[in-house]
Amino acid sequence: MKSIARSRTTAKKAKQQARPAELENYVVRKEGERTELQKRLTKLLKEMERKLPESVIEKVSDRLEGIEVRDSTLKKILAKACDRYEEHLIDPNESAGIVAAQSIGEPGTQMTMRTFHYAGVAEINVTLGLPRLIEIVDARRAPSTPMMEVHLAREFADDRDLAMWVSNRIETATLLDVASLETDIHNMKVHVLPDSERMKKKGVSIQGLREVLSQSRGLKDLISGKETDTITIEIPEPSFRILHQKSEITKDSKIKGLDGITRAVLRKEGGEYVIYTEGSNLEELLSFELSYGSYLDSSDRAKHNEIAESAPEKLSAQLIDKTRVRTNNIEEIYSVLGVEAARNAIIEEASKTLEEQGLVVDIRHIMLVADMMTNDGSVKAIGRHGISGRKSSVLARAAFEITSTHLLRAAIIGEEDLLDGVAENIIVGQPVTLGTGAVNIEYLPGKKE
Amino acid sequence: MIARGVSKRISSIRFALLSPEEIRKMSAVKIITADTYDDDGFPIDMGLMDLHLGVIEPGLRCKTCGRKVDECPGHFGHIDLAMNVIHVGYVKEIKKLLDATCRKCGRLLLTKEQTDEFKKSLERVEEFGGDVADLGLVTKETVREAASKAVCPHCGATRTKITLDKPTSFREEGHKLTPKEVRERLERIPDADLIPLGLDPRVCRPEWMVLTALPVPPVTVRPSITLESGDRSEDDLTHKLVDVLRINQRLRENRDAGAPQLIVEDLWELLQYHVTTYFDNQTSGLPPARHRSGRPLKTLVQRLKGKEGRFRSNLSGKRVNFSARTVISPDPLISINEVGVPVEAARELTIPFTASPYNMDALKEMIRRGPEPLAVIGEGKSRYLPGVNYVIRPDGRRIKVTDKNSEQVAEMLELNFVVERHLTDGDIVLFNRQPSLHRMSMMGHQVRVMPGKTFRLSLSVCPPYNADFDGDEMNLHVLQSEEARAEAKVLMKVQEHVLSPRFGGPVIGAIHDHITGAFLLTYMNSLFTKEEVMIILSTVKNHRELPKPMMTDKAGREMWSGKQLFSLILPATLSMAFKSSICVNCEPCLYEKCEYDAYVRIKDGNFEVGTMDEKAVGAFKGKVIDKLARDYGSDVVREFIDNVTKLSIASIMVRGFTTGIADEDIPSDGKNRIAESLEKAVARVNELVRQYKTGELEQMPGRSMEETLEVEVMKVLGRARDGAGDIAGQYLGMENPAVIMAKCGARGSMLNLSQMAGCIGQQAVRGERLSRGYWNRTLPHFKQGDLGAEARGFVKHSYKDGLTPTEFFFHSMGGREGIVDTAVRTSRSGYMQRRLINALEDIKVTEDRTVRNTADSIVQVLYGEDGIDPSRSIQGDAVDVDGILIEALGDEAQILAKIDEKRASAYATLEMDMMEGQEEEEAEEVDYDIGEGDEQ
Repeated sequence: MKSIARSRTTAKKAKQQARPAELENYVVRKEGERTELQKRLTKLLKEMERKLPESVIEKVSDRLEGIEVRDSTLKKILAKACDRYEEHLIDPNESAGIVAAQSIGEPGTQMTMRTFHYAGVAEINVTLGLPRLIEIVDARRAPSTPMMEVHLAREFADDRDLAMWVSNRIETATLLDVASLETDIHNMKVHVLPDSERMKKKGVSIQGLREVLSQSRGLKDLISGKETDTITIEIPEPSFRILHQKSEITKDSKIKGLDGITRAVLRKEGGEYVIYTEGSNLEELLSFELSYGSYLDSSDRAKHNEIAESAPEKLSAQLIDKTRVRTNNIEEIYSVLGVEAARNAIIEEASKTLEEQGLVVDIRHIMLVADMMTNDGSVKAIGRHGISGRKSSVLARAAFEITSTHLLRAAIIGEEDLLDGVAENIIVGQPVTLGTGAVNIEYLPGKKE
Repeated sequence: MIARGVSKRISSIRFALLSPEEIRKMSAVKIITADTYDDDGFPIDMGLMDLHLGVIEPGLRCKTCGRKVDECPGHFGHIDLAMNVIHVGYVKEIKKLLDATCRKCGRLLLTKEQTDEFKKSLERVEEFGGDVADLGLVTKETVREAASKAVCPHCGATRTKITLDKPTSFREEGHKLTPKEVRERLERIPDADLIPLGLDPRVCRPEWMVLTALPVPPVTVRPSITLESGDRSEDDLTHKLVDVLRINQRLRENRDAGAPQLIVEDLWELLQYHVTTYFDNQTSGLPPARHRSGRPLKTLVQRLKGKEGRFRSNLSGKRVNFSARTVISPDPLISINEVGVPVEAARELTIPFTASPYNMDALKEMIRRGPEPLAVIGEGKSRYLPGVNYVIRPDGRRIKVTDKNSEQVAEMLELNFVVERHLTDGDIVLFNRQPSLHRMSMMGHQVRVMPGKTFRLSLSVCPPYNADFDGDEMNLHVLQSEEARAEAKVLMKVQEHVLSPRFGGPVIGAIHDHITGAFLLTYMNSLFTKEEVMIILSTVKNHRELPKPMMTDKAGREMWSGKQLFSLILPATLSMAFKSSICVNCEPCLYEKCEYDAYVRIKDGNFEVGTMDEKAVGAFKGKVIDKLARDYGSDVVREFIDNVTKLSIASIMVRGFTTGIADEDIPSDGKNRIAESLEKAVARVNELVRQYKTGELEQMPGRSMEETLEVEVMKVLGRARDGAGDIAGQYLGMENPAVIMAKCGARGSMLNLSQMAGCIGQQAVRGERLSRGYWNRTLPHFKQGDLGAEARGFVKHSYKDGLTPTEFFFHSMGGREGIVDTAVRTSRSGYMQRRLINALEDIKVTEDRTVRNTADSIVQVLYGEDGIDPSRSIQGDAVDVDGILIEALGDEAQILAKIDEKRASAYATLEMDMMEGQEEEEAEEVDYDIGEGDEQ
């Protein structure tokens, strides 16, 4: 929970420039990692029998870090903070939901419709603005422009060649990326002519290529031309249709990389190379093994041997820092990491989208929307297929969309509308149960003694 | 009127299916004839307009309840259908039931164990708070399981395949199942087997889904209208019922006469069609029933459904009385809390007062004044006084007060009479502007009755309403109960909404000229003579005492500084420091010694250095307003905002301020420099194009050659525009009114100015240079394949220079995109907001500060993870830590100093703009409804 509040303040800073600082903050602080001052403040609070949210304690300690302050002074500060905190608490019966919905909906009119290039990464197009916000709220299966941000383990992060190597491994390459195709109509053959230059760049060998092709469906037993540097696919029977079909299969066969990741772009951010990808595949990426050894093996044999001698354990170090992988595909996060992660992703994506448009919306509103969407353990959309279609009140559902179906169904299952919500009560014409409508004060004149 | 003291509440509504018995039992009359009226225009007995069904004509009495129009709610009748007919709304349900039950014995095709299993899982879902959709999933599973059985586990009969021929006929292994047979089968299903199928046998027997009797709605539901010509025009429902009756009659006759099977079946199907369309005239697979004119009839489902349907139009949205709507216009002299109401409107809008011993005399006095009192205060001047329009006696009779009977009525007044008094100064009303996107779109104002025919409102409340005065209209609602007025006063008054719950900053504050005025008053060493000071201060109420003049000038006149004057409206205890809008973010910041006077410091209510501009007093950004609203409360902010408005206006008028296109004049050498730099840029573009064509252009990684060229060209031209702007900027100094407005945040931006004085720049559609139009070119003025700057939408000229025809065309293309974008955006975001509101409307913070929905399940354990109200938060933070430190450490200066030192280094990152200045655009009013077309 805490990490979200943090990430927001840090995201602000990130816009200014300081990326590494942000990264530092994403590491969840454990109990033991709290500073002495924070512990002292918490202890004092306990003594005073009062409560403050962690974020306030952190901020106070940030300000006072390194300055000597007496306990009595600290207590004075804390007492004041507690007083203010209690003043700032939200009132019971506040219609938090409506305020949240308005706060997110109202700036919608001020947003743009177009997709833009993502801050800094000019090569990758990302849906932003209103369409993106709608996408998040709709809980779509996949965003229209899925994207991932892959960080390298810190000790390798400044190595451009290594980053390039990793990004080449992640990016999907089809056969056409490394070779050209020649269809021999006369002999009913398809020749694959690898481009050695590009092969090297992508890190594919001819053997590897052959292997991939022979494993792909429809081409299994057709591969020939063992010794030469071309691969030939022979069509068993003379048929143009089959020839064409096979050449298409060959063309599109994936040589390497992760499914769905069509492009990977490198970008230097504060002394660190970060890989941005077009397309997202969190699940495969998280189980993708890339060790330092395998990198050296293919790039620098000498160094590989050297390290293998001196510090062999270093070779098995993973190149990708999997704790820092991000994707904008919420559904993927949900299926790989679970609801809590999905909730955080919704909050983060929504606030990023709003912030990018220069609109300030309090994070609490976004949190409420995210919590509502993920309340029952799965990600539900805001709309008739999600939350609105599952309201407990028949009248509220009928008033939103698909009126007749809801009414007809209610009749046969004998539904009872308890008139707890807003829409229902407006329909029957009584005060709603929020805000001042939630309290009932009855004046009973006292009996005269 | 609301009945006082009644505290009844509908606690719940239960839905159920009508059984044929019930339909007949509640029926007031059985309808048999398709005719409605006889030749005299009198309703025919047992016809569709039978007087037992209620009355719609004045003068007649209902034969069922004996009451007159408006008193009689109407009564249902019924039609006995000659043959059974399937209810369209339930065909899918019937199909499910037929599939899941035995054809012979009618039992659910599941063993007892399985049945119990499914029953249990239903109970489990219910226990864990599953909603209707979840229950639906379980029953669906039950049906699937049962439908997969080949043999009935109870009687051993084999299962036959039943198919549904849309919309309403069933087929069993090729044979048509008549509705009668369907009904018989449904009858055989025992009650106990219905529960796992999701039906509640207490409210719904499945055979009721096949109709034997049709309820006829009361005439009040389907009133006929008498046209001017005297002809009667019947409601769509009546038309449809006539059809049903007619066919029903024919079917009965034919059947009884023993007509051939074929004819009976045809008629039966026709009856089914009419009943189907009577329910839903948009059933897929059926041609909609049409009116004589060809218009499709609006039958039951159509009446309920959609935006114009009963639910959204009449039940969720209600019409109100005691409201007014007119054009708005500005009045800088009234408070933000007030609204100017025209006399005409005030005389029409009333507030009810119940006579009591305490107000008797006052009410009598008001009644005596009659409906149009005017207090003359000499020399043709008059003052508005509230009068009375109606007096309501406790028995409900309304007495209209006229000039003639006013005296009489006043004498008649007794306890518990209700007097409807005119609106008068100080009454609290609700004021609203659509679209009502947030709660600040409807706020409480105090009335000020004024001459004129428009609502007047303070300019500072325009931002939350998003109002301007180009013809905007607004609505006003007069509250009718004491509770409502109290609530409005405490919760809805404008001053309570200075801070937005969206981001915890101010949404009400100075705009446009008021910012310019504040700027002119306080910028640098502005000085004012005693006379000017008097003029300015005379407009302001409740200011602090004028201090000694700052200096005397050469002529010996006493001069006061603008900063001194501004201090007078600040609370004496206010201390704060921040950077103004005019700040240029120089490094390092000189703070108090800022050469631009951009660092504001206020100490103990004394405005020492800096300039009051948008960052200080503007709506959305005003830090002073923010601070006052937070620390001093709503009354103080309200007064401050009102005073800033008046002070600014007075000072802008003393100083004088005007702007025009001449402000963008730049000397000819400036023009030449701009032209020169633009020429260079165009040449550079041509060079890039040449490189591209010869292939010399260096390709960017991850980009094609074309993309590379576009990026490069855009870069060059973007820089060229900025360059032109910069050159123009050099000739436009801080003494230029347009620049003043742009810099202090009043209106416009430096970009706007550079487009007027320098160069408009590249026009774009979808973020790219213009490329479409003709074959390989944008306009026939250019050669095919021309990729140069001019041919692809670069506008070299400025607005002031004027555009060439091609430039003008390109500019329109860019402009059109913006317009389309706005139109699309409003409808999209409107629908998104409707969905958001609908999904979240029931969520509230409970007394234990958990956030719950109506099902009482917890959505958040602590609101927003820290329980803080966003509108009370300090830019999202729970408490103002820095402020607290300063307060708490007041006597420990050395610690404070250390903190200051630490903070100074981080200052630049803490400073964040609250909100970007938005271009004002008036969106066309659009239908917010998308996504409903694909209903069901």
